[in-house]
Amino acid sequence: MTRHLSLRDIDWTLLTIVLFICAVGVLQIYSATMGTSFHSAWWMQIVFVFLGLLLMWGLLATDYHTLLHYVPMLYAGSVIALLGTYLVGQAAFGSRRWIPLPGGFHLQVSEFVKLVIILLVARYLTELRTDDLEIWDMLKLACLVLVPGGLVLIQPDLGTSLTYIAVLVVGAFIAGLRWKYVAVIAVVAVVVLPVGYHFMKDYQKARLTSFLDPDRDPQGTGYQLIQSEIAVGHGGMWGKGVTGGTQTQLRFLPVPHKDFIFSAYAEEHGFVGVVIVLALYFVMIMRIVQNAQTAPDRVGMYICMGVAGLLLFHILVNVGMVADKMPVTGIPLPFMSAGGSSVCSMFMAVGLVNNVRLRRFVN
Amino acid sequence: MGQRRLLTLAGIAAFWAAVVLYHLISLQVFHHRYYVQLARQHQEVPIEVPAPRGTLFDRNGQTLAMSVPTESVYVNPLKLPDLGMAADLLGRVLHLDRAQLFATLKQAYDDHRGYLLIKHRVDFQEAENLRGLAFDWIGVQHESQRHYPKGDLAAHVLGGVDFSETGTSGVERALEQDLHGVPGEMRLVTDVKGRGIESQLAKPARPGAAITLTIDERIQFVAERELEAAVIEHHAFAGSLVAMNPQNGEVLAMASYPTYDPNQALQGNDPRRINHAVSLPFEPGSVFKVITLSAALETTDLKPDSPINCHGGAFTLPGRVIHDSHAGLGIIPMADVLARSSNSGAVEIGSHVGPENLYKYVRRFGFGQKTGIELKEENRGRVWPFNRWRKTSWASVSMGQEVGVTTLQLAQAAAVVANGGFLIHPHLVLKKNDKPVPVAPPVRILQPDNAILMRSMMEGVVVLPYGTGRRARLDGYSVGGKTGSAQIFDTQTKHYTHSYNGTFMGFAPLTNPALVVVVTLNGTHGEGGFGGVVAAPVFHAVASEALRVMEVPRDLPDDKPHTLVAVAANMDDLADPDRADTDNVLADDDDDAPDAQVAAPSGPTVPNFKGMNMRAVLAQAAEMGITVLPAGSGIARVQNPPAGTPLYEGERIRVQFVR
Repeated sequence: MTRHLSLRDIDWTLLTIVLFICAVGVLQIYSATMGTSFHSAWWMQIVFVFLGLLLMWGLLATDYHTLLHYVPMLYAGSVIALLGTYLVGQAAFGSRRWIPLPGGFHLQVSEFVKLVIILLVARYLTELRTDDLEIWDMLKLACLVLVPGGLVLIQPDLGTSLTYIAVLVVGAFIAGLRWKYVAVIAVVAVVVLPVGYHFMKDYQKARLTSFLDPDRDPQGTGYQLIQSEIAVGHGGMWGKGVTGGTQTQLRFLPVPHKDFIFSAYAEEHGFVGVVIVLALYFVMIMRIVQNAQTAPDRVGMYICMGVAGLLLFHILVNVGMVADKMPVTGIPLPFMSAGGSSVCSMFMAVGLVNNVRLRRFVN
Repeated sequence: MGQRRLLTLAGIAAFWAAVVLYHLISLQVFHHRYYVQLARQHQEVPIEVPAPRGTLFDRNGQTLAMSVPTESVYVNPLKLPDLGMAADLLGRVLHLDRAQLFATLKQAYDDHRGYLLIKHRVDFQEAENLRGLAFDWIGVQHESQRHYPKGDLAAHVLGGVDFSETGTSGVERALEQDLHGVPGEMRLVTDVKGRGIESQLAKPARPGAAITLTIDERIQFVAERELEAAVIEHHAFAGSLVAMNPQNGEVLAMASYPTYDPNQALQGNDPRRINHAVSLPFEPGSVFKVITLSAALETTDLKPDSPINCHGGAFTLPGRVIHDSHAGLGIIPMADVLARSSNSGAVEIGSHVGPENLYKYVRRFGFGQKTGIELKEENRGRVWPFNRWRKTSWASVSMGQEVGVTTLQLAQAAAVVANGGFLIHPHLVLKKNDKPVPVAPPVRILQPDNAILMRSMMEGVVVLPYGTGRRARLDGYSVGGKTGSAQIFDTQTKHYTHSYNGTFMGFAPLTNPALVVVVTLNGTHGEGGFGGVVAAPVFHAVASEALRVMEVPRDLPDDKPHTLVAVAANMDDLADPDRADTDNVLADDDDDAPDAQVAAPSGPTVPNFKGMNMRAVLAQAAEMGITVLPAGSGIARVQNPPAGTPLYEGERIRVQFVR
């Protein structure tokens, strides 16, 4: 079967766009970290991009059906890894998300679990073999997703756990969850959320609510949002130029190379730059959706749509947060934010899409 | 896969994306300016850049006051690790008394003050040593210090500043707005931790205006030197002098004694700070007769040669008698009333003028009003409103009582006569930032003829052998003037005392005066304290030097002898207080005591020039060997002395020609 594989069949458009976004990200990381202790982050990012390409390559070699076969093991491994993270993970930035690796690197397990969730949802929904997702099946799937999701939530990393939910919701919706169930779930969510909010930690509450009124506590949780908002507004139509954004360069913007890289980008490249990058993301998503539509089978479609949903969720939440329309949840911007785990897992997600695409003519 | 499901999903995502995109547009395009402002607020700290205070120059560009940067030391008492140690350290480094310093620090610490200024104007070495210490509770801040390089020269004109360089008196106070300048603003771009990254000059400090004063340092110096000498010599308690250009009101020198050094801090109420030239009005006495006679020329048909009945030196008014200080004078020409400074003659003239006109002219000459000079200390003097004049007030005012004037106001009045009848506006500021300061136009208050007649009568005061101001004569210049010796009224005892305000006001050269000088010595004693004795020599010294400095062409030959044939002393000059009668409050005025003797007329008799043209007048004068000072052109109308009077040796005849 592998004999029929051809590099020609890789989605080169998608890959080009992704690499272009990565390049923009590297430039922005360089600019944002210039003169800080993170000044080497830009070439680290280049290394991560190549590492991501390698992982993607490796992922292409294995048929996604084979991967789906291993989902139970991957799922179990994920849960164990997350537990391990929680136990040994070192406390940094107020949460236990990382497993220290030799060489000073840190592995963020939850990033890779996203891929497992995509595969899990795809396999589960495919095996149901129905166009109408029953509520009990839906709840069973939800429970499966919520176990790793809960483990991530208690790290605590609300943003990442929400991405799992996003994959679940997109999958369930496409699988034909009835509208009345959608309504019921929505109502339950509305009822449960305040309860869940009650059990959240103070800083999480503050993060979630401060976007509604960032001026309430400008030196505290609203600080990042206000500074980000100012940075974006400061950029104007054409931006302040690379390394010219004062909000970024004077470090008013916290960690401008990670979750808030889009603020720094918006300040230095202006609305024009923002539109260009968002257009690239739009084309990227559309390519992935197109791949979903040309997928050889249902599970391939679910995988592609899962990836599309995951990326879209990341982009909308991150940009929305930067534009002060979303709570600060700590979600990286795919392919732009500095971070090895994020970049590698995103490339692997693209690898999954290409894996499906490569095998579209098999049947 | 349900295509509709996919579309729904796409719709939701699109809506979400649209909201986010709309917000990005709103931030980056619509509200861009607002966020630029906000970013500035966060990133930039405004720092005030103090504007250097304007420099004061004299009219020739000599620096009279300037600001130099200095440093001062402060501490934060709340951060002091140990009061005793701090007192030890600061005391040693700054050369201060330890015990006193400790007490101050303790007090500040107890009051929870976070800022205490330890020492102003530390010298360079001290500041360096402190910086070397580098404690966070010590700070050195930049200041600016006013420096007066000429010491006490023109102290009262310049005034002074307080520790924050705000003018407290003099020009420094009056021109505070101009001198202070506008502080600039520096925008310090800081990073999030408040560390300064770079600074941009957002608004440069606008330095205070450089002010060029009308003062001439050389004349001012002589004025102060002569005034001080005279005050000390005559045991006066104070003195003042104003030298002014009568044509435009530029004050060339303004001196007041006692004086001070504005470089030294002085108590606000230190009597030395009083500018006697403008701040303390006094009764002028006889100098005021110039006003009376001017009013007479303007409002009556009296002429310099009109006979005035001096009533034998005692003018009887309802309820009081005015005494002359001289032995009884009979009927003399009006010009002689001024030259001899007859009180009863002045009162007689005043009676012709009448109270209303007298009041009107007193006001017209600028008395009872501020001259508007650039000094906030200026007093407007005292002229009773007309409706408060008593029955005999006109008589008092005629001879310079019941009014309070300043030396500057006298200078302004003398300038009216000198410049041909214009009330000018005395001022001290010549240029601001090299731009001439406009001056209000002069106001005509005397007819030119009358002003010229007054000039010639005032020349008589100086030139005539019996004139009271002979000591004011100048070598090479014709002079007009008037003396005054007002008894100082003791408000305690309601009596005039035997101490005087001796005044001389004069101008030179006569035909086109370039200079008015008024000298007042306050609190001279005895007969030696009369204006003609104490003040006229000061005039002589100051005017001689000023005319030389100003390069005014001489109008008399240098070798003109001023020696006069001595005659018997004629004047006991002064109203005898013992003879003063019923009205104590208005006890009589002094007069000016020429100590020299009056010469008998020895020259030819004055011919009558009236009706002749200038050529004929000059021809006849040459024939007779007498000197004529012609003024105007046309037909001779007025002459002084009048026709028929015998001439004294060297006396000249002024003839006014009118078309």
